[in-house]
Amino acid sequence: MQELKLTKQAETVNELLARYGVKFGIYKNNTFQEQLFPFDTIPRVIGKADFAYLERGLKQRVTALNCFIKDIYGEKKIIRDRVVPEEFVYISSGFLAPCDGVVPPKGIYAHIAGIDLVQGKDGEWYVLEDNLRVPSGASYPMIARELCRRSSPETFEANHVEDNRDYTRLLRRTMDHANTGGHTVILTPGRYNAAYFEHSYLAEKTGAHLVTGNELMVENDYLYFVDYSGKKEKVGVIYRRISDEYLDPMTFREESMIGIPHIFDVYRKGHVALINAPGNGVADDKGIYYFVPKMIRYYLDEEPVLQNAPTYLPFYEEDMKYVLAHFDDLVLKDVAEAGGYGVVFANKMTAQEKEDFIALLKKEPRRFIAQEVIDFMDIDILEGGVRTPRKADLRAFVLMADEPLVWKSGLTRFSRNPDSFIVNSSQGGGFKDTWVLSQ
Amino acid sequence: MSMLRFHYHMEIAFSEPVWDHVYTLKCLPKTSEHQEILECSYTISPANKIQEGMDSFGNRMLYGTAEERQSLFLVDVTGRAKMREGDSGYGNEDISLYRYHTSLTRPEERILELLADCRERTAQIPKARVYDRACVYMGIVRESLAYQKGITTINTTAEEALALRGGVCQDYAQLLIALCREDKIPARYVVGMLKGEGESHAWTEVYDNGRWVGLDPTNNVVVEQSHIKISHGRDYRDCSINRGVFRGQADQRQRIRVEVAEEAVRIL
Repeated sequence: MQELKLTKQAETVNELLARYGVKFGIYKNNTFQEQLFPFDTIPRVIGKADFAYLERGLKQRVTALNCFIKDIYGEKKIIRDRVVPEEFVYISSGFLAPCDGVVPPKGIYAHIAGIDLVQGKDGEWYVLEDNLRVPSGASYPMIARELCRRSSPETFEANHVEDNRDYTRLLRRTMDHANTGGHTVILTPGRYNAAYFEHSYLAEKTGAHLVTGNELMVENDYLYFVDYSGKKEKVGVIYRRISDEYLDPMTFREESMIGIPHIFDVYRKGHVALINAPGNGVADDKGIYYFVPKMIRYYLDEEPVLQNAPTYLPFYEEDMKYVLAHFDDLVLKDVAEAGGYGVVFANKMTAQEKEDFIALLKKEPRRFIAQEVIDFMDIDILEGGVRTPRKADLRAFVLMADEPLVWKSGLTRFSRNPDSFIVNSSQGGGFKDTWVLSQ
Repeated sequence: MSMLRFHYHMEIAFSEPVWDHVYTLKCLPKTSEHQEILECSYTISPANKIQEGMDSFGNRMLYGTAEERQSLFLVDVTGRAKMREGDSGYGNEDISLYRYHTSLTRPEERILELLADCRERTAQIPKARVYDRACVYMGIVRESLAYQKGITTINTTAEEALALRGGVCQDYAQLLIALCREDKIPARYVVGMLKGEGESHAWTEVYDNGRWVGLDPTNNVVVEQSHIKISHGRDYRDCSINRGVFRGQADQRQRIRVEVAEEAVRIL
């Protein structure tokens, strides 16, 4: 009954979200558009035992991924032992040669991991994607919960839901742990970024300074925050929300206007921590994804708790044969693309498209992975006041300090298009709060 | 063994004064199996706080910020190097990094055609004799390009240079790298100084059974005692001698002068 009441307040909460500026900016046809990220008030509910299982699997996965990145930019044992073929590492656009041999403070690479999961109709959870670069989205369920709590406090008295305000503490703990001695800042590319709302929200919640690149400078091999009066304060940790290639024009893209010249050089010397570490893209590459269960066995000597979606690498002859034989049943992903782009369902291709695609696949087998289409569980959303089933995924957040901790909530995204399996917010999807029950 | 004295000079003239000039320089030679750097000093003007570091390829870096307004940026490096016979270094670093193409070396139709030619002309040489094969490839690169300034830029790929049938040392080096990598021979890009007077130079190193061997396709010679090496990387971009950003609107003109001369052996 309480849930019903919340449902009725959908309009109120969405109005408040709009008023608070909870927006998602996207580029369409080369113009910047801010659009609301539609919130659906029916929460996804995950039981205590179910979440404990997820938690175990997520910690294990992120621990292994961290070991992998450390190994790749260090000893490269997993390549020497032929568990991961070296071409998958070196050809990956996420492998950054300038990171080779660089050990970040405390040896942590993926401080904040956003792991995308779906639950199949059989109840089994599958990991679809690991996001280890700059995963976004935690702020949306946080503020949605805040507003729901305000408009309907009794809901949270009647239901035993884990408090998701805890994200602030987890993030702060991760930042403090990595800190090399100095201020904590969150670096945003600016208000035209898709996730600007989130940058400002997390800064406010954690008490970190929200800064842009031109407020930071390197001097004498340290990073400084320069305030409006010209006073310089040393920075010990920077939670940067800009991608690797724009981070430092002296090491990465020379034309970057939003980065900080020489920040990579002081990071290399261990004088500042970067959250997340540059170069992580080598581990969340769609091609490397295939190897994550093998990494877990290799580094941790454990069986993976969480499953991957069944995945084939056309790079291997045997897998190529399978892919060609079962082409129509598979979804194909371009390993270099993100955000739901470069994903094609074979059964939606025309005969010509299929022919062209197979030719491309044979020419560049390393570029694609193929996956079985998982029939994932529908979740109800409210459409015009009526409960309607839609596809939804879950982005779970794992925050690494001395040990990994999993946030007891997460971002549930759903597709508004009834025929679509693609839930990315950049493709116009909506979101829900994720309730983890405490009893 | 020979003893070389070197002087590297770079100047950037700005058409208008600029400020907050942030730079990274990879212009300091390093001691290796091939060369022993006995002395090396540098001056940078305008003078300011300069940091030293090392990139992930093992190259020495100088970096800093010149905050004050300037119209002329000057870098001078001088020193002495004792050149040794033989290889350009052993393969104790990551070799695999140099097996794979970058956007500047990735072959397309023309390079693949040229490689077919290379293979035909080395058909008699056993596969394992990497050095011998690479020397033939070097000769083919030399035949395929005509030395010509101004037709290529720092962003020209090996494939594009081959289409133009010409270029400068950077293009020769990258074309040889492209052919070698495509033929499973690890190869890397080298920046350095050549005996005599001129600009900085670029050549190629190929990996042959545990050692790196320098090949200079622009001159079609094996690298011996007249090449002082400054840096190496996957392609031109990893080794660019100067990288900088500044505030102000100005055109910049860069001039490089290198002098390397044999030192008279002192007789006691």
